[in-house]
Amino acid sequence: MSYLDYGATSFHKPPQVSRAVERAMHVCASPGRGGYAAAEQAARVVFRAREEAGRLFSCRPEQVVFTMNCTHGLNIAIRSLVHPGGRVVISGFEHNAVTRPLHALNAALTVAGEKLFDWEDTLACFDRALQPGVEAAVVTHVSNVFGYILPLEDIARMCRDRGIPLIVDAAQSAGVLPLDFEGLGAAFLAMPGHKGLYGPQGTGLLLCSGDAQPLLYGGTGSMSREQTMPEELPDRLEAGTQNVPGIAGLGAGMAWVRRRGPENLLLREHALLTLCAGKLSEGGLRVFSGPHQAATLSYLPHGDCEEEAQRLAEHGFALRAGLHCAPLAHRSAGTLETGTVRLSLGFDTTREDIEAFCACAARGKIRHPR
Amino acid sequence: MKSYYITFRSVTFAQRGERLLKEASVRCSLRRTPRWMEEQGCGYALRLWTRDIAEAVALLRRENIPLRRVYGALGEGELEALEL
Repeated sequence: MSYLDYGATSFHKPPQVSRAVERAMHVCASPGRGGYAAAEQAARVVFRAREEAGRLFSCRPEQVVFTMNCTHGLNIAIRSLVHPGGRVVISGFEHNAVTRPLHALNAALTVAGEKLFDWEDTLACFDRALQPGVEAAVVTHVSNVFGYILPLEDIARMCRDRGIPLIVDAAQSAGVLPLDFEGLGAAFLAMPGHKGLYGPQGTGLLLCSGDAQPLLYGGTGSMSREQTMPEELPDRLEAGTQNVPGIAGLGAGMAWVRRRGPENLLLREHALLTLCAGKLSEGGLRVFSGPHQAATLSYLPHGDCEEEAQRLAEHGFALRAGLHCAPLAHRSAGTLETGTVRLSLGFDTTREDIEAFCACAARGKIRHPR
Repeated sequence: MKSYYITFRSVTFAQRGERLLKEASVRCSLRRTPRWMEEQGCGYALRLWTRDIAEAVALLRRENIPLRRVYGALGEGELEALEL
């Protein structure tokens, strides 16, 4: 199988990750709860992973909150900043992990920037939308459908200048692009552990600049007589026993990414993506590619996108079709009715994978379902 | 060399403190806070051995690591809370 669905999860991991998970299952008890060796070992594993995240994303260990996934972190961030009916600015490429929590709050949304790969337009739209009274801006760093890298640093600067808190969805960029939390000055930065950071599924990180409201209430191993959640991070947002084996694996994944360098990983993957975009275009397919693109690419097949992905799966290519939980992004790109086929590359994608995939994609039958 | 306890509100801050003090060659170890030291229950502390507790505390404060309390032996007797 050629795995081309790294945007969903990094199904293949560096071997250090599963070794760290297995070791943690053997030697770690509950972290932050006991004083015996196995509990201390668990606390050390969790703290080292916090430190590793701090090195990778330029923040202090206590600003690193472990979550179950990126969606979990985004929910905490949004609930911390947005009141029911509040005004929020989002990009035109947000995932349902952003839009559904905002919808649940009946937030008044302004969608800023719907043109793919066009920084000038994106920034002009944010410039108009970031007005007094806006409670927060929520911006994906990289579109999960099209790989469009949004001009995050410029948007963050606008938010800082206007005193508007920024929430960053780094689902597709963590481990893929350099991220400097301190430099961005964002209020929150949410990311999954199981994509570009190569950790296990069921892991995520939320970086917090300051105050945050818990989604879960419960034991933290600290200040037990107080019936309110502790004020201090990360305890405030980490009720209940942590996923220590998952965090151990995530720590190993982050260390691996940091040693390789996110920019080096992307450089290699982007070269393959450019090759792929060219070959698919030569095959007469409509490909969504442009400047400011990470290692994710969508295209319109000749027929139904889901049927095409099924056909490709039968030929050994694992990728995803449909709306990718991001109807807003598809609406922005004009593909809400058709969906797209998306491929997203990872550390072990090869030139041979891409050439074989493009040859297979070009053989797709022309079908007209309606 | 005297023995002291510094208590913290979270294990993460205690761990940061441990890292910092060890880097400064202060001998210390992480442990659960003795129950009598923490009326709010459950916490972590650093037990440390140093000639200059004021310097150790100042180091932690310089790095914005919030402390709960510092305990030490004033004389021959039991540990008591110190004002630093």
